Order: sequence, then structure tokens, then C-alpha cells
Amino acid sequence: MSTLLEVQGISVTFDGFRAINNLSFDIGLPEMRAIIGPNGAGKTTFMDIVTGKTRPDSGSVRWGDLGHSLLSMSEAQIAQEGIGRKFQRPTVFEDQSVHDNLRVALKKPRGPFAAIFDRTTDADHARIGEIADEIGLSAHLRTQAGILSHGQKQWLEIGMLLAQDPKLLLVDEPAAGMTNEEREHTTALLKRLAESHAVVVVEHDMEFVRRLDCRVTVLHEGSVLAEGSLDYVMADERVIEVYLGR
Amino acid sequence: MSIFIQNRSVPIFIGLLALFALGVTVMSEAYGTGAISVSFTKVLGMTLCLCLAALAMDLVWGYCGILSLGHFAFFGLGGYVIGMWLMTARTESVVRANLAEGVIPPTEAEVSQATALQIFSVVGAEDWPWMWAASDSLFLTLLLIVVVPGLLALIFGWLAFRSRVTGVYLSILTQAMTLALSLYLFQNDTGLRGNNGLSGLQNLPGVTAGQDEVSIWLFWASALALGLTYIGASWLISGKFGNIVRGIRDDEQRVRFLGYRVEVFKLFVFTLSGILCGIAGALYYPQAGIINPDEIAPIASIYLAVWVAIGGRGRLYGAVIGAAVVSLLSTYFTGGRAPDIDLGAFSIEWVDWWPVLLGVGFVLVTLFAPKGLGGLVDYIVRKDRT
Repeated sequence: MSTLLEVQGISVTFDGFRAINNLSFDIGLPEMRAIIGPNGAGKTTFMDIVTGKTRPDSGSVRWGDLGHSLLSMSEAQIAQEGIGRKFQRPTVFEDQSVHDNLRVALKKPRGPFAAIFDRTTDADHARIGEIADEIGLSAHLRTQAGILSHGQKQWLEIGMLLAQDPKLLLVDEPAAGMTNEEREHTTALLKRLAESHAVVVVEHDMEFVRRLDCRVTVLHEGSVLAEGSLDYVMADERVIEVYLGR
Repeated sequence: MSIFIQNRSVPIFIGLLALFALGVTVMSEAYGTGAISVSFTKVLGMTLCLCLAALAMDLVWGYCGILSLGHFAFFGLGGYVIGMWLMTARTESVVRANLAEGVIPPTEAEVSQATALQIFSVVGAEDWPWMWAASDSLFLTLLLIVVVPGLLALIFGWLAFRSRVTGVYLSILTQAMTLALSLYLFQNDTGLRGNNGLSGLQNLPGVTAGQDEVSIWLFWASALALGLTYIGASWLISGKFGNIVRGIRDDEQRVRFLGYRVEVFKLFVFTLSGILCGIAGALYYPQAGIINPDEIAPIASIYLAVWVAIGGRGRLYGAVIGAAVVSLLSTYFTGGRAPDIDLGAFSIEWVDWWPVLLGVGFVLVTLFAPKGLGGLVDYIVRKDRT
């Protein structure tokens, strides 16, 4: 296992509020990691920094074997490097069909001219079909994404993530709004992905985290409070304090 | 060619446009019964150009979500570029005819000097301004019709999109752009004859045919440009490019995190749309006969947005319907053809009341047909199918 993403000593302040405070984090390939923490712990801001949406005031974010910095790259460049992100609220192109959503996400050249002259090849069709099977939407390829159920939209977004073929997947609350059966399927899917990818899951739901059965990082007030197996971190005094109150 | 099969609106639109062009030709003064006067032929041709501008507006607003309120700047620039060539050629031929009466044949330099004096004496100048350098070449003029509006759109768009200016701020910036250009052109020393503008543009150089024939030729050219653009735009938005652009409209952030450089796509659409507007303007002003800086006042661009909104954005035929219906109604009501309504103490004169009517219509469409007149077409088509 080699280190894929190495975040070191980042801090970011919004209007005097320290959202991230000297945070360090790393993840290897392949690996599954869950990030938990109370509201305002900096989970989403952390993802914003890794994906280039927010610039940290200090610290470094290094990527891949060569360890080059992500801080000077735009969101699009970072995504092309192989970091995919699923948002907390499912964000899919509601106006477009499931097929078209996946087609846009599919890993292919990203320039405007490549897009204009793009033809869906047999390989593309096969890949889209494969992903649709995986996310249980193969019967809905022609359906407008806007009329899917909440859980189906979550899955479509995960499908778009798969289509991008990233090395690192940042997944924000994937199980929100899903039925128990859907949760199990999601867990299985994420676990399978973690065999060949680096997967970071941000989650509130402890039951879901337990099912993922992976290393857990607890964030609190913008820093890492504890790291280890779920049982280990939940036995930590400070974690109990943060979660259960003093 | 698959675009004709995939998107049914394309063959229908092209068919209707061809029928319309044929009908106008058959009723024209030059080639038909004469039921349609020369001036009305010009109105129809100009309307087609406005439809073309509306198509361009729909690409940038309806599909890409960029509400530009400055697109008439591009339209006007296209008009100014063709206008310089038309006016130079026309004036030169008049000057040559005058000088030919002299005993000694004039030199080329004398002709050029006399032409410049003729054109620019109205603003107290007598030399050719630098920007007229290409005005004696049809080839360069045609090139500049694309390059000048395209370059303005490219530079403006690059600055705006790179700084991630979006929404209402971008709209205000585009308004400022067209206002600035208009105010600049109003000055007498800019080389484009200030508020006099360019005139006599209806005379095509080297053409001896009368306006009855010229008007129908320009009408055909406008119809051809509209038809080709409709096919091209439909093709462009039918593929993955269209998916991405509509994605940018609905959720810019998502597209960015998929690895697309949103700014580049926006710039592409904005520039393409600016170029199309320039071409529309270059076809419009030879039919209008005159262009002056008032044409690119901010209100013109706002009207363009209103047409697209009334017609229904995000569907190409909607933009065309909106532009055609509203601009023709506007011509009807403001052209003094509509009978005034006498209410005794108070009379409604349509020239003054047309903006009110348009405003009310705009509100009604927004309230009761949020997808515009084009949305009604969708509704009827769907009803037929079931």
C-alpha cells in the first residue's frame, strides 16, 4: 500500500472562525477510511480543500507517488488527476436522462472540442450499461434523473463517480435517505471499491460506519481527535466527551 | 445528417422556413404578385435576422445559463463592419461619377480623398480613420464580421468567466459593456461618424438591380443563415457538448468536479453566440439601411432577452417564435398601423402604449406559460401524441 493523498498541517479560517486547524491526514491505495465528527467539525471543509474548492491558509496537500501539490490546481484539474467527489445532497443533472448523466461523467477527454465531436462508442455503451447494473438503474437509463427517488439519485451520483474512474473517492453521507436494503447494497459497493481504490466516507450514522468495518478518523473543531478502529476511537475519553457532551 | 431524424423540430423548422421563404418570394414585387411591398419584405428579412440573434441568445442563456444583457453590442458591431464596406463602396462610386465630369480623369488618391471627405465631413474630419482600413475589401469585411464581435466576446468572456462572475453580476457587466460601446460610438471623433451612424447601407455596391430585387435577395440570405444556424445549433446541443452545457446551467459545481473546465465551455458558447449575433447584425443593417449607436443601447439587448423569455428558453424554436412574434407585433404597434382606441377623455395611442402591452404580455407569459410560447408548442405536440 502506497500513500495516495497526504495532507499536512492545513489550516483555514473563515471570517475569524477556524474551520480547519492544523489538520493532517493521509490515505493509501487501496484503503477505506471513515471520517466522523459532530456538526462543524470541518468534514466538508476538508473535502473542499482536497478538491480545490477552498484554498487553505497554510499547510500542504500532496498527491500520488510523486507527491505533487494539489494546492495550485483548479477543481477541474484535480478531478482529472483522479479525485472524485459525491456531495452530501445528491447532485445529478435532473434535467437529463440517467444515461446522459453517466455519459458526461465517463472518463474521456474533457475539452470542448472533444465533447462536440464525441461519439458514444460500443465500449462506452458497455461501460454505461455495466455501471447502470451496478447501481441498479439499468431499467431507468432513459428516465429523467429529476424524477428518480432520493436513494436512486444517491446511487446515480455514485455511478457518476464510478464512471469518472477516479483513484480517490470522497463520499459525503452516501447512505442518507436510503432504505435498509439500499444501505446494505451501498456498503457492499463501497467495500468492493475499496479493494482497488482509496475511499473516504464522511458519515454521521455510526451503524453505517460499523458496517464499513474500516479505520476511522474522528474530527473535532477542525483537527484530528482520534484515529483507529471504530471500537478503539469510541472508547477514547475525548471522543466520548465530544459525542455525549460533558 | 442524423440530426434530422433525432430531433424532429429540425426538419419541421426547416420545412416551415422554406415554405415561408417560398411564399414571400411568390408574393414579392420582384418575383411574384407584388402582394408584399418592398418595405414589408425588408421587415420580414430583418425579423429573420432578429430570430437568428434570438437563437444565439438562447444558446448562451437558455442552454448555458448565462443571462447576457449585452448581446446587441455584437449585433451592432457586425452591422458597423458591413456598414463601413457598403458606405465606402457606395460613396466611392458616387464620387467617381462626379469627378468623371471633369476634364482630367482623377487619380486614385484623389478619389480616395474625396470619398473620405464625403463620408467624414459630417463629423468635421476628412481623413480615413484607421478602423476603415479594411472597408475597401469585401473579403476582409466578411472576415471581420466574424472576428470583431468574436474577439470582443472572447476578451470580455475570458475576463468575466475567469473571475467566476456569474448570475446577476454578469448580467450587469454585459449591460455595462453594451452601454460603454454605445456611448463610445456616440462620440464624433471615434471614426464611425458619431450619432450620425452609417447610412445608405441598402445600396449594394456593383448591383444595378432595384431595391425590389435586392430586398428579396437579402431576405433569402437571412432565411438561409437562420436555417443553417438552426441546424448547426441543434446538432451542437444534441450531443455530449449539449449535456455538459446544460449541466453547467443547472449545477456548475458538479460539472467542475467531474473534471470539466467550466470557464472554457462558457467562453466557447459565449463567443460562438457573439459571432452569430454579429452575422445577424451584418445581414440586418443592409436591410434597415442605417445603423447608429442608438441601436446598441442597453434596452435593445434587454428586448432580446425578453423575446427569448416569451418564446421559451432552452428550446431553439421557442427563441425563434418569441423573436418573430414580439418583433412583428412591435413593428405593427409602433409603426402607426394599429388603430388608436378612443375612450372619450382618454385615448390609447399604441406608439406610447406598446411597451405597456409588452410588459403585461411578459408578466402573463411568465405567470401562465413559464416555458414560454415554445412550451405551448410542446404541450400541443404531446397532447396529439397521446
